[in-house]
Amino acid sequence: METQNFEEKLLKMTKPEVNQLKHQDMLADAITNAKDKSVVSWWWLSVPLFIIAMLTMKSAFMPQTTLISNIHELKSKQPVSSLLFFLIVPICIIIFNTWSIRKVWSLSDNPKDSNSIQSLWVNGLMIIFSIIVLIIYSL
Amino acid sequence: MKLNWFKREGIFFLPTSIVGWLILVAGIAFAVYSFIDIDSRSHSSSDTLINFVFMLLIIGAVYSLIAYFTSRTPKG
Repeated sequence: METQNFEEKLLKMTKPEVNQLKHQDMLADAITNAKDKSVVSWWWLSVPLFIIAMLTMKSAFMPQTTLISNIHELKSKQPVSSLLFFLIVPICIIIFNTWSIRKVWSLSDNPKDSNSIQSLWVNGLMIIFSIIVLIIYSL
Repeated sequence: MKLNWFKREGIFFLPTSIVGWLILVAGIAFAVYSFIDIDSRSHSSSDTLINFVFMLLIIGAVYSLIAYFTSRTPKG
């Protein structure tokens, strides 16, 4: 009789703890996944950023050209590659990183005080860089 | 299916299995081949380096994408 009561008590006591542990596990997975995504985003975004850096150097060494004119030249000479690296990749990066931040935000108990959102600053940086690439491409 | 070929360390994905190591070695071999190919066609060392760094970034981007989908972190 005593043993049965104890088991019932134990089950009641551990249920909230199990839920909390599951929630913490999900949050930790979401943060790790978001960080993985930020690394992949950084590698893919480094390609258009490298091209922009090279075209900026070209415009500095050739005074008759500007970064915008060089981007226009790139668009006409490499239409598929420029569309991929300057439009499709940044848009995908914005979508995936926003999704990750939103997921961590929704899993955080108290998002305003939580450090979990602050740990995703690289994802925010990737979104900002993607917007800059899109603006430069659209000029 | 959960694959465990890579684990992330900073901004790099390190191999944790034989398949992962094979992918890394293939990537390095392709980078070396690209360097030799670019160097044979370029006119100066800066020309070689600019084109090789661009190719290296593309190889790194493809490698990181493969590693992301085959690392042990649950995707979602």
